[in-house]
Amino acid sequence: MAAASYHTPRLLPALAVLSLGALLAVALSVSTGSVAISTAELWAVLQGEGEPLHRTLIFDLRLPRSLAAFATGGLLAVAGALMQVLLRNPLADPYVLGLSGGAAVGALSAMLLGLGSAAVSGSAFIGAIVSAITVFGLAHGTGSWTPTRLLLTGVVIAAGWGAVVTFMLAIAPTESLPGMLFWLMGDLAYARSPWPALTTLLALSLLLLPLGRSLNAMARGPLQAAALGVAVKPMEWSIYIAASLLTALAVTTAGSIGFVGLVVPHMLRLILGNDQRLILPACALAGGALLTLADTLARTIIAPEQLPVGVITALLGVPTFLLLLYRSR
Amino acid sequence: MRCLLVVLSLLLAHIASAGSERCVDDDRNVKVCLDAPATRIIALSPGATELLYAAGAGGKLIAAVSFSDYPDEAKALPRVGSYNRFDLEAILSLKPDLLIGWHSGNPTEQLAQLEALGLKVYYSELRGFDGVSRTLRRFGELAGSEPAANAAAEHFDQGIAALRKQYQSAESVRVFQQIWVNPLMTVNDQHLISEATRLCGGINVFGNLPRLAARIDHEAVLAANPEAIIAGGMGEENRNWLDDWRSYSGLLAVQRDNLFFIPPSTLQRPTPRLLSGTRMLCQHLDTARGRR
Amino acid sequence: MSEVLLQAAQLCIDVPGRSDGSELNFAIQRGEVWGVLGPNGAGKTTLLHTLAGLRKPRKGTVYLAGSAIQRLRRRQIAQQMAVVFQERSDSFPATVMESVMIGRHPFLSAWDMESAEDLEIARAALARMELSGMEQRLVSSLSGGEKQRLAIATAMTQQANIWLADEPGNHLDLHHQVAVMSMMREQAAQGNAVLLCLHDINLAARYCDQLLLLYPDGNACWGDASIMLQAPALEKLYRQPLTVLEDQGQRVFIPRTQRHTGNEN
Repeated sequence: MAAASYHTPRLLPALAVLSLGALLAVALSVSTGSVAISTAELWAVLQGEGEPLHRTLIFDLRLPRSLAAFATGGLLAVAGALMQVLLRNPLADPYVLGLSGGAAVGALSAMLLGLGSAAVSGSAFIGAIVSAITVFGLAHGTGSWTPTRLLLTGVVIAAGWGAVVTFMLAIAPTESLPGMLFWLMGDLAYARSPWPALTTLLALSLLLLPLGRSLNAMARGPLQAAALGVAVKPMEWSIYIAASLLTALAVTTAGSIGFVGLVVPHMLRLILGNDQRLILPACALAGGALLTLADTLARTIIAPEQLPVGVITALLGVPTFLLLLYRSR
Repeated sequence: MRCLLVVLSLLLAHIASAGSERCVDDDRNVKVCLDAPATRIIALSPGATELLYAAGAGGKLIAAVSFSDYPDEAKALPRVGSYNRFDLEAILSLKPDLLIGWHSGNPTEQLAQLEALGLKVYYSELRGFDGVSRTLRRFGELAGSEPAANAAAEHFDQGIAALRKQYQSAESVRVFQQIWVNPLMTVNDQHLISEATRLCGGINVFGNLPRLAARIDHEAVLAANPEAIIAGGMGEENRNWLDDWRSYSGLLAVQRDNLFFIPPSTLQRPTPRLLSGTRMLCQHLDTARGRR
Repeated sequence: MSEVLLQAAQLCIDVPGRSDGSELNFAIQRGEVWGVLGPNGAGKTTLLHTLAGLRKPRKGTVYLAGSAIQRLRRRQIAQQMAVVFQERSDSFPATVMESVMIGRHPFLSAWDMESAEDLEIARAALARMELSGMEQRLVSSLSGGEKQRLAIATAMTQQANIWLADEPGNHLDLHHQVAVMSMMREQAAQGNAVLLCLHDINLAARYCDQLLLLYPDGNACWGDASIMLQAPALEKLYRQPLTVLEDQGQRVFIPRTQRHTGNEN
């Protein structure tokens, strides 16, 4: 049955190309760094031989970090695509409902208290979830729930978090400032283990896949979706919870990295159309590949010094996006 | 009438200078002159507070900024804000006769405004060991506590000179100086820490980086493979940064257990405590030599 | 085969700012085309949304083939009922083909991709609405009338036996208005039930079996089109004097200009 579908000619090749791209990005990221490792040495390491230093570099440093980058990018892009459908607003990104602000307040509080990085991650996650619940509860209010109301609530709550962050930066001791600022800019050096992010990305992508067509209907507005047989409220709840969870985990893994969640879904829509069954897995792959690539550049351009990865995602993404937009119909 | 004013003011100026006028160059090489020893001083950085106490002028301090926590007496001083944003009204209302500003740390506009309001501002910007003793002497002169200040400066200079002599021909040790953990940060050869490292016969493995304080990755440390790792800490006692390195068994510093902790306030700040920090560093590097 | 497909029982629609109004009690049978007429703001769209189960009535119940609509799942409703809305949002780009295929959504399970059969149904609907050859066009590049026909084609792919359409003739030229209305008649002839909100009395007169007149104060009356289409009733409904002409047994209503008649009654 699938063989006759009009989607198949696009779906499989597109995902195949993106998977290959993602694999190449991870491979590139694993093979580059401030220590030069030749292809032969890399091969030896992958076979369980090679120098101990090289093994440490590949398995303890580069691979976990590039997997974390991949997972974070994928989480953000999928979350962005979901938020855009939920709010029916192409300008929505994963942070539009204040999740990154909440996470930032959580993380910075932990830093102010001088807690370790596990506590920083934990309180960032709690902050993000608190923000998600607050925004949703307030937007619900006494009246009905509309995208505009949700968006406005989110924007105002985000502004509130922003003020709290500024306040914390103002009272923070000098020694803590670099750490705080780097966290706010988003940085994969914080990534400890890639597995929570990676498994969540995989699990939620698989869970969302069968909802793809319902999401297509949702993109046409709640009335149309309901008339097409979508249970709109439960659907909106699911999208909201999924997107919040994805974003919270991304922020927890690597701080608030901007841009990926906004632009990757749009790039893919310009190339592939707006079928969520294709867009969601494509976002996971392309977002992951983009961030992996950006992180590789960030840690190699002026090695051994490091650049913030957000700078590179923007430098890579902005021209690509503008070019696609310029050439689109 | 106008002539009379000019004459009068010249006369007054003459009378004033006839008192005990004292002038010192600050770190911008601008002369700061006081008619009499300062009695109401506000220090606008934690470092300046510490130096003033060391120069015997602690009794003249009337206020400080947040995080001025050394020596203990400093904690009781009234606060006029933080080093990067202070309360001009609070400063004015305290009627200070001397402000010690921090050239690269305080907001330039606020310092300029204070000067425009007629307050005397000494701009401090310490570099290196000489900076510490020079500043001690200058503070002593400004506050009229020359004997205590000169003694402190002398003590510091002699201590450093003794260390320099002791380690001038010591074998070199390749050192990684870790000043922060998240993000991982180190310093280049321009930094005070590197001056101390050199004095003890150490070589900063990241000395050639272009930035004073640089963010690097773990891979770069593994590649440099230092013989010793010296870490400051989040707070004065926190040593767990060093434990993170133990998982990299390939590192020479880990194999030889040359992972050392030095409280950051004794090695990262240009104050008289630098002597004890440097001494500690030299001993650690000696320990490392012994483990070869 | 007179079988009730859609029924309103003691139904009061919930129009904001209106507290009373007549209860609606009507039943739409297989093979019937119903027209809803009324001035702006009378609640035509609200009625249509209520009948579709998309809006809670103030009181009363809507029955879909005998079952209370609020007890049915949206998917069950969508398998029987197609709705053409007056307003549509195009926040995201989509092609004509992607757009029309969404009509098959109620019939596909979560993991299904559209089959060749679905594709065939979609193509036929596009052809019926004279949109063949535009499959790969972006919806945003279509004209207003083309978008309207696309919406109707999408509803056609649902192959529903109840049609609710809000002003289906909007944006359409005369030729396409006639084509759409004949399609609706065809649907009825196949044994489906059709309810249309209309603002064109003459289209209603030409194509509807039953008419429901909705007054701004919440009153309503309904019945056989031949009975309902009386100039005085319609003049009261629209507060607009009308001239009635007869052409080949068809009544045609033309608004009379206000120039000579200062008095609306």
